Amino acid sequence: MAKSMNQAILEAIQAEMRRDKLLTLLYEYQRPGLNLEGEFGPWRVRYCAIDEQWIVGAVLGMSMIGVPAIAHIPSMTTFIPYELMFNHAGKLRHMTGGQAAFPMVLWADMAGRVPFQAAQHADAGLESSYARLTGLKVVVPSNPYDAKGLMISAIRDVDPVIFCDYSMPSSGPPVPDDPYTVPIGEPVVRSEGKDITLVGYAPQTLELAKALELLKQDGISAELIDPRTLAPLEGVMPTVLKSVQKTGRLLTSDDGSYSFSNCTEIAARVAEALPGTKIKRLAFPDAPAPGAPEMLSYMRVDAVKIAAAAKKLVKG
Amino acid sequence: MTKIAHTSAGGPASALTPRDDFSRRSFLGHIGLLGMGTAVLSAGTASKAQAQYGPSSLDDLPKEQLVKMYEDMLKIRLWESKVKDLLLAGGFRGVAHLYVGQEAIAVGVCHALRKDDYIASNHRGHGHLIAKGGDLGRMLAEITHKATGYCKGYGGSLHITDVGLGILGMNGIVGASHLFAAGAAYGIKVKGTDQVAVSFGGDGSIQGNFFSSAANAAAAWKLPWIGIIENNGYQIWVRVSDVYGIVDLAQRAQGYGIEGRVVDGNDVLAVYNLTRHAVAKARAGGGPTLIECKTYRWYDHYGAGGAKIGVDGAFGLGYRSDRELRHWMAKDPIARFRGTLVSDKILSDDRAEEIVKAVREAVEKAAAFAQQQPAPKPEDGLLNVFAEGAVPLHTN
Repeated sequence: MAKSMNQAILEAIQAEMRRDKLLTLLYEYQRPGLNLEGEFGPWRVRYCAIDEQWIVGAVLGMSMIGVPAIAHIPSMTTFIPYELMFNHAGKLRHMTGGQAAFPMVLWADMAGRVPFQAAQHADAGLESSYARLTGLKVVVPSNPYDAKGLMISAIRDVDPVIFCDYSMPSSGPPVPDDPYTVPIGEPVVRSEGKDITLVGYAPQTLELAKALELLKQDGISAELIDPRTLAPLEGVMPTVLKSVQKTGRLLTSDDGSYSFSNCTEIAARVAEALPGTKIKRLAFPDAPAPGAPEMLSYMRVDAVKIAAAAKKLVKG
Repeated sequence: MTKIAHTSAGGPASALTPRDDFSRRSFLGHIGLLGMGTAVLSAGTASKAQAQYGPSSLDDLPKEQLVKMYEDMLKIRLWESKVKDLLLAGGFRGVAHLYVGQEAIAVGVCHALRKDDYIASNHRGHGHLIAKGGDLGRMLAEITHKATGYCKGYGGSLHITDVGLGILGMNGIVGASHLFAAGAAYGIKVKGTDQVAVSFGGDGSIQGNFFSSAANAAAAWKLPWIGIIENNGYQIWVRVSDVYGIVDLAQRAQGYGIEGRVVDGNDVLAVYNLTRHAVAKARAGGGPTLIECKTYRWYDHYGAGGAKIGVDGAFGLGYRSDRELRHWMAKDPIARFRGTLVSDKILSDDRAEEIVKAVREAVEKAAAFAQQQPAPKPEDGLLNVFAEGAVPLHTN
């Protein structure tokens, strides 16, 4: 059976905790599987109070004294530690002239636009708000293979990394049992094409993949790029620009709200670098996610909407 | 209602209840009640406190350390006075939140620590860095944003630090020091060493969530964390008694299950003794302590408003009275400690004066050093965002 996203992430953490005898996981809410607490003991796998500020703040303090650590927080509290990441994790290296380091990972669960949850429990796009902060790396895996490889890279990175976990369904390459890395800052071309470049990550990769098939039926060949890393974006852009140079058209899609999203940022960078490119961005409206499925699916960007917009760019 | 027993040297313990004898205008009088002793919250008793943590460390401390404590306090006073004079002279490449008046706290606490213990400091942190062994020249170079300063000119006064001295950073966000020190204390438990982590925060540092998160976790797992509250009577420009419903801030400790104590923050030996107790307890696995040090800030929240070159204190500040300031300047922690050392024949008056002269010379040397240091290269602003490489400038 294919490994789940959660299984892949826990395998990464388990392997790294075996390798690095100080690596510590602080969490609340759901106890991690793989019997991590049994294997590593309560000091290194700590079930904390409902207090994201402690979990993330403690991990910052620990990592400052050379105890690398992972903070796991649930999806509805993604922004409670925002101040800590913004003003401390992302700034202290710079403001101390390179003295301070935070070898830590903020493993942030992301809800995604699920029905019957509503607003606080059905959010997406929060990675965009983190990606705009300085001094932080942000990764968003779209399948279990990338999740395991990116988590290992994130743990080994000496800079603070925000690992956005959208709990994607199993797809993509099989997940090896042994540790491996997916480098931070390295995008992947999921599918090659020549007429239009589609860019999206995590939840949107599912709709983009379906749109690809719809476009094929219309004789349109689309190239699909998953950035996987959102900050820093410098490693990602050459692949996107190379593709757009070939296709002349760009469609970015985001499950987060429309304004100030990562798909906006990628579109802006393409517009600057390649004037004349035909560009469209599709995203969730600037509204909270409603609980009722009728409203939610009306507002979401699905494969049909992506295919229609792409077709318009190519033929219109 | 919590009973709080205050001890004062030579006087009987007085029981205080929050607010009872503390009108909004009597901050000065209230602090005066404390005298030299410590106050014990929760389970302790006044007599026990006096026996264990009273001003008795003259007997235990080697002479050299007592003299070093005096010298360190002077370093803070004279280095900062120089900074104040430079600020007033104009053209100063930076800002400063002055610590003068609170020297007994930084020195009393840091002298109770080992070299490998950690401290997390705040925006008013020059004193903490000096007490932990900071170099006066590199400090002045940093607060004037020179390339050879502690933070290569990136940080300045608010953020100056030496990670190599076990300092987890000065931090301009109020309260963060407590959280990072408690996190470091958790890391110490993971490492399995007997180090401790101490955070310095002002009276304003205990109200935001950072403090609450730190205190709760430290209590739950008996972390080797010591929270130092430097209650100097004002949060920026607002009187503490105008914004808090309690008088003794260490009382907060009780709600978390932590030992909380109040000490005269202008008595370096009392601060030292209490910290030593907290450190010994923490190293032995006994968990955290919250220590409130009552003190007073001689200068404004930041800068040198109301101050004069060559003169101590900032007068005419509007939000506080000159009389209040003079009252506290009369309780100068350095003059007081010097008096103790001289009367106990640990120092002669002449020797004490020689130390003043030597520190003054060291400060002048530091100022000259800082003056000569080069400014950073402009393009270096793009470095140190991440461990490797530079971020792009994006202007071409």
